[in-house]
Amino acid sequence: MIVPFGHVLFLAGLLFLMGAVCAAARRNLIMILMGVEVMLNAAGLVFVGAALHWGTLDGQAFVIFIMGVAAAEAGVGLVLFYYLNRRTGDTDADSYHTLKG
Amino acid sequence: MTLYTGIFYLLGVITLTATAMAVTRRNLVHAALWLVVSFFGTSLLFYLLGAPFLAALEVIIFAGAIMILFLFIIMTLREEAAPRSFREVWRRWRLPSILGLISLVLIGFFILSAASSYHRLMPAMAAPIDFGRFLVTDYWLPVEIVSFLLFVALVGVLYLGRATDELEEEESLPSVEEEA
Amino acid sequence: MKSLLMMLLLFPLLGGLYHALLGVRLDRRWSEIVAVAAVAGSLIMAVAAAVVAGGRPVIFPLLEWFSVGELAASMDAMYDPLAAVMAVLVTFIAALVHLFSVIYMRREGGYARYYCYLNLFVFFMLVIVTADNLLFLFLGWEGVGFCSYALIGFWYRDAYHADAARKAFLVTRIGSAALGIAIGLFFTAFQSLSMDYITHHAGMLSAGMVLAIGLLLLAAAAGKSALLPLSIWLPDAMAGPTPVSALIHAATMVTAGVYLLLRLYPVLVLSPVAMGVTAAVGAVTALYGACSALAQHDIKRVLAYSTVSQLGFMVLGIGAEDPTGGLFHLLSQAFFKALLFLAAGCIIQSLSGEHDIFRMGRKVRHALPKVYGCFLIGALSLAAVPPTIGFFSKDRLLLTNLTHPSIFHAVLWIIGTLTTLITALYVFRLFFLVFYGGPGPKRTQAPEPGPVRPILVWTLYPLAFLALAGGVMNLPIGSWNFLDRYLMPVAGLGPPLEASPSLEWGVRIGNAVVALIGIGLAYLAYGPRPLKEKPATAPDSMQNLLYSGFYLNKLYHRWVVRPYEQAAAFLSNRVDHGGVDAVMTGSGRLASRWSMNLRLWTTGRLSTYLGVLLAGFTAMLVILALGLL
Repeated sequence: MIVPFGHVLFLAGLLFLMGAVCAAARRNLIMILMGVEVMLNAAGLVFVGAALHWGTLDGQAFVIFIMGVAAAEAGVGLVLFYYLNRRTGDTDADSYHTLKG
Repeated sequence: MTLYTGIFYLLGVITLTATAMAVTRRNLVHAALWLVVSFFGTSLLFYLLGAPFLAALEVIIFAGAIMILFLFIIMTLREEAAPRSFREVWRRWRLPSILGLISLVLIGFFILSAASSYHRLMPAMAAPIDFGRFLVTDYWLPVEIVSFLLFVALVGVLYLGRATDELEEEESLPSVEEEA
Repeated sequence: MKSLLMMLLLFPLLGGLYHALLGVRLDRRWSEIVAVAAVAGSLIMAVAAAVVAGGRPVIFPLLEWFSVGELAASMDAMYDPLAAVMAVLVTFIAALVHLFSVIYMRREGGYARYYCYLNLFVFFMLVIVTADNLLFLFLGWEGVGFCSYALIGFWYRDAYHADAARKAFLVTRIGSAALGIAIGLFFTAFQSLSMDYITHHAGMLSAGMVLAIGLLLLAAAAGKSALLPLSIWLPDAMAGPTPVSALIHAATMVTAGVYLLLRLYPVLVLSPVAMGVTAAVGAVTALYGACSALAQHDIKRVLAYSTVSQLGFMVLGIGAEDPTGGLFHLLSQAFFKALLFLAAGCIIQSLSGEHDIFRMGRKVRHALPKVYGCFLIGALSLAAVPPTIGFFSKDRLLLTNLTHPSIFHAVLWIIGTLTTLITALYVFRLFFLVFYGGPGPKRTQAPEPGPVRPILVWTLYPLAFLALAGGVMNLPIGSWNFLDRYLMPVAGLGPPLEASPSLEWGVRIGNAVVALIGIGLAYLAYGPRPLKEKPATAPDSMQNLLYSGFYLNKLYHRWVVRPYEQAAAFLSNRVDHGGVDAVMTGSGRLASRWSMNLRLWTTGRLSTYLGVLLAGFTAMLVILALGLL
């Protein structure tokens, strides 16, 4: 045997929360995107562990989709960031607050 | 305690350490590189948990394509990371960290209270050919949808990332009017 | 038959629609032609339908309206002899009034509005007359109320006319509310609103229900037909154009209440108390109207109070268990009152808008000899001088009361006979003042009477003929009682109680004598006299009492309007502004202060949103954990 299923889940949870805390605490837009990538990756780990747990391939199939979404998200997110940066020269997420109520 | 168990914990520690380093670096290039290490660790974990094809994809897409993209962008910025005072860092990190810790405790509680958490995972392996056949027979429609999503993202990226002179021409129009 | 009835109703409705949609765009002449043609067509249809029906009741559905649960409000029509008589009467009077209007209103603007409401007025009245379903009847009932409001307030820019219209509308609403409640009670009792069904199954009702419904129906009739204590709107309704007054008084508006009582007579008759109250209200109203008419100065107000009085007579007849007599008096009143009003219209137009009878005089008689003749016939009929139709109808009502077994009705008979005397007195006071008055202090500035268009006078002739000779339709001799026999198939309507011939003739001659005494008194007080001599007058206090209609308006103002205004002021200032509005503005201010706080959350900063997102995630986990515990 490898490990109990709970250990995989706990590892993934730890990774996920690291990504979440990173996204919430950092101000740099690139670091926020990185946090999101980490969170997606953690979710993929849970799916792979679950696939092994139940002995079906569906979990692994979902990781493919997560990768697709992560790639799209990284591409669009980075190009948006690049676009904004080219106009204002600013990388701080809190400089963009024109939607303030 | 088998060999697999040891490898799992080793990889877990590597991944966690690399991720922790990645999210706390001030230098963006360092952060990206640490993240690459984290993704490699995850990739090996995938292999250990019986998903060799996904392990390969993890290296190619996450550690390869996505992180290279990040590095490209970081390099175009030419931004120097200014050092910050400890007080300011603490002010920013304290609330998310507390929330994260609370969530961690709760997640641990959930894992402990679920019966299937104690189920022991046995080594197994999904051959890439079986996985591929499974994917295109049972999940062909979601695959198509994801491909469409990627296509839309491609169009969006192309639109936003047009050549710079084209963009400037578009933006300079109002200022010309202002002068007139 | 169905198509005849459909056309009967559709002609005035389409006429009204024409005026509403096209009237202003096309020539005035077309509006006049359409208005008269629509009503004339209706008259022909009413007669044809009566001939085809041949005295049998006919009931069939015209249109589905709506149905909710057991409540089915279909537009069912009933064309029995009672409806036939009323429909012919309404369309006949209305046709003459429309014709009269064409000339009388020729110089007024707003012709499209006028003819639109006039045609709709006839339509809604025909709905009341032909409806079998009570809700359908209620539609017509309210429609008539609205059209009367619109026509009384025809010169709405003048506050006096607008107020009169509002008053008529509001007072008749009281009656409508009573009718609405009565309809509700009918539905709970029968699960049906068909009047045919109700009248044939009236015996199912409990005693208390019968009493409640009877009194409510009386209240409804009182609102529409201007019986005491809701009579105050009718004298003010004179603010409308004179042809409209003729229409309201003779055919369309005030007869609706009496018609309702006739239609639902089988229900009303089951409750002796309701019948007694009806008769008493009728008698008192008759006396009240006659006394008030004695002191009026305005020619139209005299006629208005006389209408109140005559309506009292009709209801008195119904209360004395002779509904056919009530209907007969309704017909006779329609003829002579339309005649008198249209004649008064001729006089008013001749004097270019003068209403005060003390400013008229012998010059009018010389200028308008034909109108003078017609007015005399109308006055004789109203005063119940034989052999006019008014004599026969009123005589029958009084006789019914005398032969009624209850001693109570004997008292009412005395009141009725006294009213006959006063009626003759006031109508000939009017007659002598209008046509024989010499130059008094007011007459010096009186306008000179001018000629009127002959067509106005022509419309008087058929009415004059009917007012004079219409009694033939129901003579109390032998088998000449055509109306009684025609109405026999209608539930509840039948011939009056038998009386011994000697009593009958005694009462008849007595009535004639009473009427002649009244005329004699009027002649003595107001008749032709030397120029210098002043006409007789009553003491001032008496004069004022009668002139104001027994201060009824003031009483209403004091006991209804003023408390209502005070309550409204209290509700407006304290409850609405102080209470409801304060709560509203307070909660509004609270919300805006809260939203100012909430606004701080939309910082526009990504870090805030992501932090809150994380906090929300944690909160979800906490809630899940609490669920597990």
